[in-house]
Amino acid sequence: MRYLLRRLLLVPIPLLLVVAFVFVVLRLTGDPVAIYLGLDATPEQEALLRAELHLDEPIPVQFGYFLWDLLQGDFGTSIQFKTAAMDIVFERLQATLVLLSLGLTLAIVLGVLAGIACAVWKDRLPDFAISILAVAGQSMPSFWLGILLIQFFALELGWLPTSGRGGWEHLVLPTVTLATFLVPNFVLVTRISVLETTREQFVTTARARGAGAGRALWLHVLPNAINPVVSLVGLQLGRLMGGAVVTETIFAWPGVGRLMVSAIFQRDVPIVIASVFIVAVTIVVANLLVDLLQAAIDPRIRMR
Amino acid sequence: MRRFLGTIGLAAVAASMLANPCLAQAKDDTLVVGAAVFTDSISPAAGGYITLSLVFQTWEPLVARDAGDKLVPALAERWETLSPTHWRFHLRRGVKWHDGTPFTAADVKFTIDYVTDPKTIYVRKGRIAGIAATEVVDENTVDIRTTAPAPLLLRGLADIAVEQKAVTERLGFKEAHRKPVGTGPWKYAEWVAGDHYDLVANPDYWGGPPAMKKLRIRTISEGATRVASLIAGETHIIEEVPVDLLPSVQRRRNLKVDSIESSVSLVLTFDTRKPPFDDVRVRRAVDHAIDKKTLLQQMLGGYGSVLDGQLVTKATFGHNPKLADRPFDPARAKALLAEAGHPKGFDTRINTLSGRYLSDVDIANAAAGMMTAAGIRTTVNVVEGGVWSQLDRNKEQGPMYQIGWFSVGDADFNTVWYTEASKRNYWTNAEFDRLWKAGRSTLDEGERLRIYNRMMEIMHEELPSIFLFGLPRISARLANVEGWQPSRDSLLRLHKVKVK
Repeated sequence: MRYLLRRLLLVPIPLLLVVAFVFVVLRLTGDPVAIYLGLDATPEQEALLRAELHLDEPIPVQFGYFLWDLLQGDFGTSIQFKTAAMDIVFERLQATLVLLSLGLTLAIVLGVLAGIACAVWKDRLPDFAISILAVAGQSMPSFWLGILLIQFFALELGWLPTSGRGGWEHLVLPTVTLATFLVPNFVLVTRISVLETTREQFVTTARARGAGAGRALWLHVLPNAINPVVSLVGLQLGRLMGGAVVTETIFAWPGVGRLMVSAIFQRDVPIVIASVFIVAVTIVVANLLVDLLQAAIDPRIRMR
Repeated sequence: MRRFLGTIGLAAVAASMLANPCLAQAKDDTLVVGAAVFTDSISPAAGGYITLSLVFQTWEPLVARDAGDKLVPALAERWETLSPTHWRFHLRRGVKWHDGTPFTAADVKFTIDYVTDPKTIYVRKGRIAGIAATEVVDENTVDIRTTAPAPLLLRGLADIAVEQKAVTERLGFKEAHRKPVGTGPWKYAEWVAGDHYDLVANPDYWGGPPAMKKLRIRTISEGATRVASLIAGETHIIEEVPVDLLPSVQRRRNLKVDSIESSVSLVLTFDTRKPPFDDVRVRRAVDHAIDKKTLLQQMLGGYGSVLDGQLVTKATFGHNPKLADRPFDPARAKALLAEAGHPKGFDTRINTLSGRYLSDVDIANAAAGMMTAAGIRTTVNVVEGGVWSQLDRNKEQGPMYQIGWFSVGDADFNTVWYTEASKRNYWTNAEFDRLWKAGRSTLDEGERLRIYNRMMEIMHEELPSIFLFGLPRISARLANVEGWQPSRDSLLRLHKVKVK
């Protein structure tokens, strides 16, 4: 319980740092008023909008206002959409979460199974074949893979739609694209972890007491080998979000990743901050869950 | 049990695939368009120019532009000038708003009054800045008075959507702009920001009902995916085919490519305030060093055209037919450089945006290569949009930058960027500034043409920019789509498009 409490207390600090950093960088590198009103805006129009958005104050003062609103849960109004920034982000978040959770699940299932196969058949054909595929998967850029998948499954075979959001069939290609970029890591970590655990004395003991290879693997090796894989999930979340931006662009998926990129180009600071905040919360919470899960799986972590 | 569920699941997947053999095909009564640029707004008050592509599906201006940038009657059937500062617009009769109420002069006055109100933030209000007053003469007649003779009033009005007084007063602008009630060919159905805009045909449209029952405009920002969606039949028309994918579209018999030269002139602008580009001989050397015809073939697939040694495209009012592009002549370029005191050339840089204009980075790179071959060692610096707007505002783009200037059919709109009035000009010329002011304050079209022709001559001699290309708009469609053509101003005109 104290462990949980300590972890929870640490949550706001990274969030605040991330948000402050994004705010300052965005405000220093571009003027939302100039971008929004375009080239032929009159100075009066610019002054009017600047006042409306509180951009006529010095940046530290603006940051003060911003923090004050933030503490009250107000992320401000989007410059482009004229709606509460958080509402817009929530609208898009669902699309991204579906994609991320499916992609991550697929990556874990495929990656762990393939990793186990590699470990079991170490230095034999399945190990080589899977390892080569894993390296290939890791070296393939997502945008390229996405386009290849569209070419083959949507155009040659006509089985799946090329892009957009709709039924389950719209999810297949983006999910596979996103997962492919994560699978190799899970394969490699699972393989090494299983191999290392297999060498542990308690496994030898189990085998000596008559446990078959299968029983030793499933009951003794895997429960002990799975922890590095769980911590990898936490580490991969940031990369996953980066992958989501690319995947959403290729497949015209209306998610938070694309929203964030377009908001950055428009210097729509409230939207960027709200998206970054939500993404950061997702990552921090997921990491917390990963920690707790690890503690649940492995009593040694709780003892520390 | 689990295995059983798994089998059921697989069977369901297989069955649904069999049941939807053409799951990707767009529905018959719906026209689906794959848009390249999709703004985050359907409000006439907000968003960049391209927002009008969505705004004008439901709303209409008094006077409209057609696909070729010519002015045509829209909500105003005809108009006349009673004096140089007094215009009379005769409104189209029998026009109804989407909610069934009649369109009247009061709506026009309401719209113009609110757009020109200094307290309103409206992105394109500058387009009708010269309006002094709007008066309702009778239900079908509106008078507009301007502070000075305003030859550009009609072109300006073409960018202002006329809104309904009753609805807007009842809901407020914010709400009224979210669910448009217009007079246009399409009625609002659903808007999902970042995904699609759904519309249904307006059967009572004054120009006749649209040829299709429904319209969906989808955003597909990635060019390769846009092309794939067309090949798969998920879209009927796509905007902006990337040049490198043109062959794969042209190869297919069931697809057609359409193109039109836009009014966007792509140029390389010099900072003429500083050496070495303060010397016109150096600027001319650059002009001779770039092989524009080859660039057009290689980077724009041969679509669009090389500008005739002047800022505006052939179709723009003000084009000077006597001027021609300076020929590609590397020897002459080297001679001019030597004459200007740079026999060994020098180092310079081109700033460019990425993805704003067709093939923008490729064109900048190739031009830099050609300049380097002529002795001007040039690098390309790709700048992010937000930073770009700051550089622009502070006039800090560096020695050279690439930009596309939009004319929407009249030289006034893009020559402004070379005058003091724009506050963004690097080059200054007193005669040019004087002519520009004269051109926007007379209604005499012959006189205006003479003025812009002279301005083009001055630019040709002085060369504040290298005039590269009139950029093309290249779209593609399924062969069974009829009545479609891309527009010079890039807005989607879909009223008469039919899928056979």
